[in-house]
Amino acid sequence: MRILVVEDDANLNRQIKEALIENGYAVDVAFDGEEGHYLGDSEPYDAVVLDIGLPQMDGLSVLEEWRRAGRTMPVVLLTARDRWSDKVQGIDAGADDYVAKPFHMEELLARLRALVRRAAGHASNEITAGPVRLDVKAGKVTVDGQAIKLTSHELRLLSYLMHHKGKVVSRTELTEHLYDQDFDRDSNTIEVFVGRLRKKLPEEVIHTVRGLGYQIIED
Amino acid sequence: MKKGSIAFSLIWLTAGWLVVALAGTGFLLTDLYSRALDASLTSQLRFNIDTLTSGLVDSNDPNLGDVGVQDPRFSRAANGWYWVIRDQTGKVITTSKSLVGSMAPQIDGDFDADNYRSSVLTDESGNRIRAIERSTTSNGRQMRITVTGNLDESADLVDKFRGQAFIVLGAVGVALAIMSGIVARLALRPIDRLGQAIERVREGESETITGTYPREIAPLAEEVNELLRSNTQIIERARNQVGNLAHGLKTPIAVLRNEASAARDNPLSGVVASETEKMSQLVSTYLDRARIAARSAVVGKRADATMVMLRLVRVMQKLNAHVTIAFKRPDASLPWFRGDEGDLEEMAGNLLDNACKWSKGQIGVTMLAERTGTTTQLIIRIEDDGAGLTEDEAKKVLRRGVRLDEKTPGSGLGLDIVKELVDVYGGSLQLKRSVLGGLLAELRLPAARVGSPRPTTT
Repeated sequence: MRILVVEDDANLNRQIKEALIENGYAVDVAFDGEEGHYLGDSEPYDAVVLDIGLPQMDGLSVLEEWRRAGRTMPVVLLTARDRWSDKVQGIDAGADDYVAKPFHMEELLARLRALVRRAAGHASNEITAGPVRLDVKAGKVTVDGQAIKLTSHELRLLSYLMHHKGKVVSRTELTEHLYDQDFDRDSNTIEVFVGRLRKKLPEEVIHTVRGLGYQIIED
Repeated sequence: MKKGSIAFSLIWLTAGWLVVALAGTGFLLTDLYSRALDASLTSQLRFNIDTLTSGLVDSNDPNLGDVGVQDPRFSRAANGWYWVIRDQTGKVITTSKSLVGSMAPQIDGDFDADNYRSSVLTDESGNRIRAIERSTTSNGRQMRITVTGNLDESADLVDKFRGQAFIVLGAVGVALAIMSGIVARLALRPIDRLGQAIERVREGESETITGTYPREIAPLAEEVNELLRSNTQIIERARNQVGNLAHGLKTPIAVLRNEASAARDNPLSGVVASETEKMSQLVSTYLDRARIAARSAVVGKRADATMVMLRLVRVMQKLNAHVTIAFKRPDASLPWFRGDEGDLEEMAGNLLDNACKWSKGQIGVTMLAERTGTTTQLIIRIEDDGAGLTEDEAKKVLRRGVRLDEKTPGSGLGLDIVKELVDVYGGSLQLKRSVLGGLLAELRLPAARVGSPRPTTT
């Protein structure tokens, strides 16, 4: 899952980025409205954390631009202005949720998880595919009730495929969503990780669709 | 603030001036009349002198008595009407019958260019008389002809005239006083209208003083409008400053808090975490207070409660996909909320937010108006199918700053601002048990007067 964080306060930006990386997300950051708008407009993100008060272009304008251009990724607004009129304005501009500053990082993470889940059409924090069960909140995977150990890269890969189960996911899409901008993109690494993941999971969970990509079949 | 009455002073001033002016007019008229009478008497007496003179010339005998003066008043004794003919030595040659047996009136002083002289005398019977004498030559003899008329008769006429004049002028005075009272009333009517317009602003039916006013008080109406505008601006500025302060403080607090919770092993982090928690509480508490203090001074605001609720329901439905919010839109006759739109959003929004937090899937929103006596209240009910509250818990929650469940973020906090705002508007908040099984929050707020015009701005 790849997330964009647009926040002008350098410390807060760093903190959110670190917390997200710790929770298995790939993260890009922007410190002003224009940069944020450009990234959100050109890169595929699974969710965006967007501050309202930004230099150069305010958060609401950035959001409205994205929505006008047909960008539908879920957006969480960060706002110090927590009056209802501000919330209404934010939601009407196309936001999916808001978090009022000062917030607890856990709350922001929970909102993001819920949004990513909802965007992929899952109602609960648990996604299952046959014997495999993924607890999105805890970042734990079980097979037939038995916990299995995954590296953070493997977990990211499985989580993305499970969120989009039933859909054929190309290698390019995986690279785009699993790594941040600065990552040296080499589709071979994806193949290596898929190979390792397959060894830890029952056979037939991850299908290879020749020439197109990978797929986890729906139950 | 009260000192006298404009209408009263106007009437007093007018009446005082009227009494002086009318009395003066009365005396002046009487004086003029009396002078006119005197002039008329003088010319009559001169006519009599002329008659006597020509009688003398015709008969050529000064001893001839009634030389053509026909007026019977000269025949009755001691009535003030006399005539005398003297020779140049002053010896009486002949007199009117009325002067028989009395002393002939004697005038001193010089003759004028026409050989006349005149004086006011008192005769032996005590009559005030006007006497005129002419020096003339008849057949070579120097003669002095004196004629007198009774002035007391004129004085009687003047007295009668004065009495009538004062009756008429008195009636005119009373009529004018009544008129001035009516005029004062009429002149003060625009001030009454201005007072009513200001009251409408205070009642929240209008944002500015409306209507046209006479040139004299139009500046006052404009000044009041200017005052209202600058008041709104000051409040707007204060709100903006509060917003800026909020944004300025909340980000650093968020940074400190996150930094502390990321470094849990460090003993410093516990202190920072607890202190930032306090700072955060203080910031939000005092921001809320500042907002309330700023907004309680706002007058003349009304808000369409139905539109506010539609908006809030739309937003909360989007944010909370797990619940269904049933909102039956009330008909258009529902009165508006008398107050600030943002405040209504704050109250209803926080209650709706709480309902969403606790609900298992069902939320109901209803709106109605209730008339009690002369006031109308707007009622907003928000209910959920959550756990609800016992009576004791409900009482506790309505006290300031109490959180029932620390685990659900923000619970309790939202109710504080709701309670404060409800107090500002003189409304009420009640927590009851809902038929859905959970909590029913009932908000009662003042409604704007039905049928009053819509505000023209925002």
